[in-house]
Amino acid sequence: MILEIDGLNFRYPDAPKKAVDSFSLQVPESEIVVLAGASGCGKSTLLRAINGLIPHMYAGDYSGDVRVGGSSVKASSMRELAQRVGFLFQNPENQIFMFTVERDIAFGLENLGVPRQEMRRRVDEAIGLLGIGSLAQRAPYELSDGQKQRVALAGVLAMRPKLIILDEPTSLLDPKTALDFVDLVANLRKDVGATFLIVEHRLDLLVKVADRMVVMSSGRKVLDGSPSEVLMGDEADGFGVSIPAVSRVQKLLAKDGLAGVDRLYDAEEVAAIRQRERR
Amino acid sequence: MMWLSGGFIFRSGNSRFHRLDPRVKLLISILTFATALIARYIYEIGLVVAFILVVAAAATVLTRIARTMALTATFSAFIFVVNFLFTRNLESSSLYAFRFVAIVVSTSLFFVTTTPDELERVMKMFRLPRDVVFAFVTAVRFVPVMMLDALQIMDAQKSRGLELDKGNILRRARNMIPILIPLVVNAVVRSGELAEAMESRAYGASERPTSLVEYRAKRVDKVVALAAVVVFLLAAYSFYSLLAPIAL
Repeated sequence: MILEIDGLNFRYPDAPKKAVDSFSLQVPESEIVVLAGASGCGKSTLLRAINGLIPHMYAGDYSGDVRVGGSSVKASSMRELAQRVGFLFQNPENQIFMFTVERDIAFGLENLGVPRQEMRRRVDEAIGLLGIGSLAQRAPYELSDGQKQRVALAGVLAMRPKLIILDEPTSLLDPKTALDFVDLVANLRKDVGATFLIVEHRLDLLVKVADRMVVMSSGRKVLDGSPSEVLMGDEADGFGVSIPAVSRVQKLLAKDGLAGVDRLYDAEEVAAIRQRERR
Repeated sequence: MMWLSGGFIFRSGNSRFHRLDPRVKLLISILTFATALIARYIYEIGLVVAFILVVAAAATVLTRIARTMALTATFSAFIFVVNFLFTRNLESSSLYAFRFVAIVVSTSLFFVTTTPDELERVMKMFRLPRDVVFAFVTAVRFVPVMMLDALQIMDAQKSRGLELDKGNILRRARNMIPILIPLVVNAVVRSGELAEAMESRAYGASERPTSLVEYRAKRVDKVVALAAVVVFLLAAYSFYSLLAPIAL
């Protein structure tokens, strides 16, 4: 297990109720897990408890245990955690610090004091993985949103984390760029074997690549299963999860016994069933 | 304030002068600055300015430097008037006014040809604390971002009926408040997100952070630095004022 969360509770100072409530989750290595739920359900807090910003940067009532790669987040330093857990924040603009792409990718490694040669190797590797060689000498303001996203992710990858958290990575991207980004994540999982925990509202983009879906509501874990289990079930709707249109149609077809619910169909399959029925 | 930003913000260029080591560019700037300070006659200041203009032309930033000069003129005229009112000395007043132009332009030459990256390097060489250097880097890095922010806020407030360019100066200043408050609030939120991202990327984790890029002075840098010093000494000697107290 790369990530083990045991009965985590967290309450911000002066908050009336817990932001994360008796939350447990086990994630095996190189799985892609999608975390969904309405805004304010505690997703962001949970993510911060995994990469150590909670409790190291934000104080509050903390109980339970989070372990990444076997060691407790609470007992680890931010220095160790920065190398174990990569965090791609929602707005890439606010995580690019340097004036050139290349130097920004090196930012974390510079902070850790990694020797220059090793740093060069890792930066080039991250640039190669994301296919942003042509951007290496650009300034942040010369980049599009999609490019900024890749640069920020390269900075995360250069640290070679085992677990990578993506917080609503496509929220600022246009549909085509968003789709490319999802493909990129799938390829990265193959190439570097990292585990991904992705918070995302646009589930239609992710159903293809996700191994698992976890739904949160009021700080608790309410659903946990394969994408088909979660999306074909009856509960997801009630927790503010946007079920992809195709899956809705599949569900309706399943009611009439025209489709299965053991896996998610894509638009073509659903259309094929409709056509068959018409004839 | 606009003239300041115009003449002091780097825009990419790729002349020989741009490619010099930032330390050498800083040295040239400081030396021309110093020469302007020790000059005792207007024609001497004229020589300094001419020198800067020649360098600026070689660095393909002549138009920007010229614009800085033109914009400095207002302030310099003010200096002239104030000086003249108090001293009633035409010569010294105009010397002060011209000297001001020379000083601004020599500083501007450094800033318009030096990337923020290089500025950071220079700051590190002066062994400024890492936090100070990083604060500077972040400030410069987010200038274009905040400018976009400001434009968006202006559009939003205008669409809600805010009339920015109406009324007298006081009124206009007051009109800026609905722009400034959201801008500051945005900046505060942004700084929180920056702090999180910095923590997540191990900022401050090591006592001795390393650097991806290695900077070494090339031979051309050394030659130019030496030439700059020689020219400065010659100028100082010809002004024969190195040891004499600065006139005026």
